[in-house]
Amino acid sequence: MIEVCHLHKQFGALTALRDVSFQAPDGAITGLLGANGAGKSTTLRTICGVLKPGGGEVRVDGVSPAADPLALQRRVGGLLDHTGLYSRLTPREILAFSGRLHGIPWERLSRRVEEVLAFLGMQSVADRRTGGFSQGERMKTALGRALIHAPKNLLLDEPTSGLDVPSVRSLRLLLQRMRDAGACILFSSHVLEEVRALCDRVVILAQGRVVAEGTPGELCRRAGVATLEDAFVSFTDAAEVASC
Amino acid sequence: MLNQSLIVAGKEILDGWRDRRSLLSSALYSLMGPGVVALVSMASRDLGRPGDGQKVLIAMMSVFTMVSAFVGGMNVAMDSVAGERERRSLLPLLMHPVTRLDLLLGKWLAVAVFSLAGLMLNMLGFALLFQRVPPPALALCLVPLGLLAAALEIWVSTVCRGVKEAHTYLSMLVFLPMGLGMFMVFSPGAGQGWWKFLPVAGQQLQLEAGMRGGEVDLPRILFLGFATAILAAMALLGAADRLERDDVVYGG
Repeated sequence: MIEVCHLHKQFGALTALRDVSFQAPDGAITGLLGANGAGKSTTLRTICGVLKPGGGEVRVDGVSPAADPLALQRRVGGLLDHTGLYSRLTPREILAFSGRLHGIPWERLSRRVEEVLAFLGMQSVADRRTGGFSQGERMKTALGRALIHAPKNLLLDEPTSGLDVPSVRSLRLLLQRMRDAGACILFSSHVLEEVRALCDRVVILAQGRVVAEGTPGELCRRAGVATLEDAFVSFTDAAEVASC
Repeated sequence: MLNQSLIVAGKEILDGWRDRRSLLSSALYSLMGPGVVALVSMASRDLGRPGDGQKVLIAMMSVFTMVSAFVGGMNVAMDSVAGERERRSLLPLLMHPVTRLDLLLGKWLAVAVFSLAGLMLNMLGFALLFQRVPPPALALCLVPLGLLAAALEIWVSTVCRGVKEAHTYLSMLVFLPMGLGMFMVFSPGAGQGWWKFLPVAGQQLQLEAGMRGGEVDLPRILFLGFATAILAAMALLGAADRLERDDVVYGG
């Protein structure tokens, strides 16, 4: 479970996050929705401990990065911003490297690598260097790296961007399987159709603030509109007017 | 802690080993010294000035040896930090339960392995072509030199946002031993007094003396090793401090 309480983050003169608070429960996919620059990526990077919060607190399964950043990173897996692979290494080597850094003992490591490769359906490319991979294969390898230590919490920052339809579909099925197994998944996107299809709860960010939170149905009802897209526009417009 | 650094170092060494083009270019740069000195040696023999010529040739050998410590690990340093930022693999790496100092130490160890390999290749070249091998005691100041070269390269690479920028600045860094070395070869005043205790310059003078078959000044070698290690530690701490900054997680 991920709890974000009064999170604040400043980059020089730019305020990226202002008093952001929300919860992402276990066994659910929570969508983080917002326009470009709304603060989605900064929120995810702060949750996983890569960025230090300027104020407020993040807790993952009760652990705060301020108290023990490494313990938090053992509980979280993430696919943030970009796949970022090593082109001269194979998926098997990348997963093994990641697993060793997560402290998986040698005797369990190769079995765990095989499990993840099988889970992602990557056995046929497991020993090919990632340099020549397609976007979908790259995404799967990066996702495998995020899953190697079997984290209970998964952070995904626009994971479907640049993927073809079959890859999006296989990712969606994979996330649903993880959700059903009890994982807490926090998923950022600005593709509303995707959020609607996948997410149990939605948090809408605008100008670094949480402007609405609830299930897609609740948000539509509260905004008095029929679609999530209209609800999103309604909440973000209201936030823009309020900030003027 | 050390275990995490060794895991990172192992990955960087494997990655660097597979980058055959960069490996070949580093090996060629390391062997450039023996090649150039061999050509100059043939030319000076033709000109019939063996006495003075040999003194300059030995001084040139030591300059090229200093340079080889810097070129050996240059490509790995460039790829392992600036390259990591450029291809955006630094962000996923920082999501692992590893402190940034451990990450940096791992990368430094890997660069140091390539720097020392460059140094050894260079000396092997001189040994084969000129049958001149420095006394084993000089390892006490040459190994710290490799560690310093790796630390400085890691620091420069940490400051840069991409491979191209890192290549520009690291190429300038290689001019440090080259420029300093050439200055000492051709300037009669240099190489005296405090120069002997200056990291890089001191190592070059000591190596030059060793290649000529002169006395090995062990206290000076130990002092140089210590001073060089301190400088390397400072460069690494500077790099670690840079890696703690927020903007490092954003790509090139």
